[in-house]
Amino acid sequence: MKTFMSLLKITLNVHFGISALKYRFTKEKKRLWEPILIILSIIIGGGAILTLYSLLLLGVFMGGQTIGHPEIVLTFAFMATQLLVLIFGIFYIMSAFYFSNDLNILIPLPLKPAEVLGVKFIIILISEYLVALPMLLPAFIIYGIGTWADIFYWLKGLILVLMSPVFPLVIAAIFAILLMRFVNIRKSKDLMVVVGSLLGLFAGLGINILTQSLPQGNEEEFIKNLIMSNTGLIEAIGNRFPPSIWATLALSSSGWQGLGYFLLFVGFSIVLLAILLWLGNAFFYKGYLSGEEIRGKAKALSAEDVEKGASKASSPVIALFKREWKLFMRTPIYVMNGLAGMIMVPFFIILPFATKSEDMEVVTSLAKDPKYALIALFVSLGLMLFASSMNLISCTSISREGRTFWISKIIPASPRDQILAKLLHSSCLSLVALIIIALPLYFLLGILLYRLIIIVFIGFLVNVLINIVGLIVDLLRPKLEWNDPQEAIKQNLNAFLAMIISLIIMLIIGGVSILLLIKGVSEFFIYGILTLIVIVLLVPSYYGLLALANKKYNSLEI
Amino acid sequence: MIKITNLSKSYNKGLVKAVDDLTLHVKPGEIFGFLGPNGAGKTTTIKMMVGLLTPDQGSISIAGIDILKNPVEAKQNIGYVPDNPDVYERLTGMEYLNFMADVYKVPAKERKERISNLLDMFNLTHAVGDLIKSYSHGMKQKIVLTGALLHNPAVWILDEPMVGLDPKSSHLLKEFMRKHCDQGNTVFFSTHVLEVAERLCDRIGIINNGKLIAMGTMDELRHRDQAHSLENIFLELTEI
Ligand SMILES: Nc1ncnc2c1ncn2[C@@H]1O[C@H](COP(=O)(O)OP(=O)(O)O)[C@@H](O)[C@H]1O
Ligand SMILES: [Mg+2]
Repeated sequence: MKTFMSLLKITLNVHFGISALKYRFTKEKKRLWEPILIILSIIIGGGAILTLYSLLLLGVFMGGQTIGHPEIVLTFAFMATQLLVLIFGIFYIMSAFYFSNDLNILIPLPLKPAEVLGVKFIIILISEYLVALPMLLPAFIIYGIGTWADIFYWLKGLILVLMSPVFPLVIAAIFAILLMRFVNIRKSKDLMVVVGSLLGLFAGLGINILTQSLPQGNEEEFIKNLIMSNTGLIEAIGNRFPPSIWATLALSSSGWQGLGYFLLFVGFSIVLLAILLWLGNAFFYKGYLSGEEIRGKAKALSAEDVEKGASKASSPVIALFKREWKLFMRTPIYVMNGLAGMIMVPFFIILPFATKSEDMEVVTSLAKDPKYALIALFVSLGLMLFASSMNLISCTSISREGRTFWISKIIPASPRDQILAKLLHSSCLSLVALIIIALPLYFLLGILLYRLIIIVFIGFLVNVLINIVGLIVDLLRPKLEWNDPQEAIKQNLNAFLAMIISLIIMLIIGGVSILLLIKGVSEFFIYGILTLIVIVLLVPSYYGLLALANKKYNSLEI
Repeated sequence: MIKITNLSKSYNKGLVKAVDDLTLHVKPGEIFGFLGPNGAGKTTTIKMMVGLLTPDQGSISIAGIDILKNPVEAKQNIGYVPDNPDVYERLTGMEYLNFMADVYKVPAKERKERISNLLDMFNLTHAVGDLIKSYSHGMKQKIVLTGALLHNPAVWILDEPMVGLDPKSSHLLKEFMRKHCDQGNTVFFSTHVLEVAERLCDRIGIINNGKLIAMGTMDELRHRDQAHSLENIFLELTEI
């Protein structure tokens, strides 16, 4: 038990970066405002979402009350939480059990596999509380207050709420362990990233379609109707996933029956946990180690191949650009977050119209009417620019180099060449994204070809500007210390900062366009003014970028 | 070839003084061993020499070019290998070498020859088509070494180069260092092992707590009056 506790302590420390945080606050005293800003935005954003969610739950509770089943709100919350934990859990578990670097250190230690597994399980459980508690507590409180529940309700409930992620997480873990034992997917961590991202994408699409099917206006009324007509549905899902029903009954029934269901829920979780630990002792290390041995071996090169491969020579900027391109394209998490996000945004915007054919017809017929053609054109431009501001490529460009940044510092390539290669890289990808967005608009809205080319051109100029801004942000505060590529692109505040500045730029351009459109200025004049504005912004920021690069490439220390 | 004058550097806003008023010169044709226990300040000094860290004070010139004033020109003359081979894992060995050759502007013909020779010497030819991700620690070190020497730099700066290499590669590297210096070039390398420095170097500098405490040939160091003041340091640096 003692070794288990000390292992737990050290893992908690590493996972949540406690010592690193302390060091930063007490010794380095670097950028203290940053964590404060993050916490603040989480409180504001999280608070808003939580309020909306609580309102939804209140609606469900009151809807349930009218049909005599107020406990439906509990079933709903437990079910949603456990499903969510299950889905996220599989990915958390996979990455913590099989893809984390610390296993190389832990396996040689004299610990039982079950101990290591247990510690990792607890860490994930704690992370899951961040999702589970905000989802469950509001429902728990609403029902408790709404039905004047007694003290036993609150006691049982607190334990159930704390236990609720255990059951789905164990299922996810058992699934992962068995999968790893018999199928080897460690070889392709990259594949996991792709599958995970696609899953997320589908979830997003699903939610989008779902919200589209919500009727406008009286949502509370709608929820009531939904519950009336769907009590059967919730029960049906609940039957597939009985623990959420047990939890509901444990809380809504009183006396022995409630206690019985309570014990059933808790006991079931504990038994499953025991099974997991037993399985872990038997299979955990085996699955891990069998993955370790396999290594994709490319064909061995002969001496002639080497000579052939070495014969081409490129200029430094081209060489730097090629490096940038290859490293980006070969890291799925970069492609998924950097590029796919940019392309997906407009589809999410178009989708609501596309799924409702009447709306779509109205929009397209309006767009094709010469009177509104210009408006459609500028709306399209706005869409393109909005998508571009989701661009994570330039604002993580330095950060992505991470520990290999020393190479950029020691090579005799001037900061100018290095930053130009990065600008070239991000702008190339921006252009690709712009064209991909432009094509459906062209077909959907029937925009004239010459106009399309003009807005792609203006959009590209704005993109270059956004990329310059992104590079400036990343130069000012690159995140070079990371172990997993996702930290460089997903957990990077630079993306957020760059996005805000891009939105301001777009506000300027959008404002000017609207102003000129209202004034009824001729379209070519508008193109001219927009181009002029962008160029006026572009030139000084370009030289600013070069000057900053000169300074930062020398002063950044690694 | 290497001129370091009054170099100082501290970390954490002056709390840790890693290098303290260091001055040393290395002549052409010399192998210079930079010897000191762990945490003495070797890596910090080397990082300043190659432009990875900015000194708090002092100047460094490599092949007559000031690294702070003309970094790009100075770097063209340096071949640097760090103690930890963090390198682009998602490039193949060959792609990495071509990248290095491009940025150091090595002409196509020359690069062909040097790449084959170096790969041959380090026994890497078979692996050079694989992603660097799949290399062992020692192989990564060797690919970094190869990339650093492609442009035939006048000054080699190597941080603990023997650590992690197998005996054969280590031996080859030592021979290669000797050959390089015999052509009038310079090698500067750090080590915490007295024996390595003793056998290989023309001159040795000993650093402890950021200060250069002695410099000269091994014989000079051994027979100088203050020799026994070095005794403790030597004891720390001797491998048993
Ligand atoms: N990034 C850093 N931050 C704070 N202190 C550091 C850092 N890098 C090195 N040091 C400190 O500087 C001193 C010299 O370290 P280093 O140059 O790496 O020694 P060596 O290479 O001789 O083993 C040590 O005391 C070490 O703790
Ligand atoms: Mg060192």
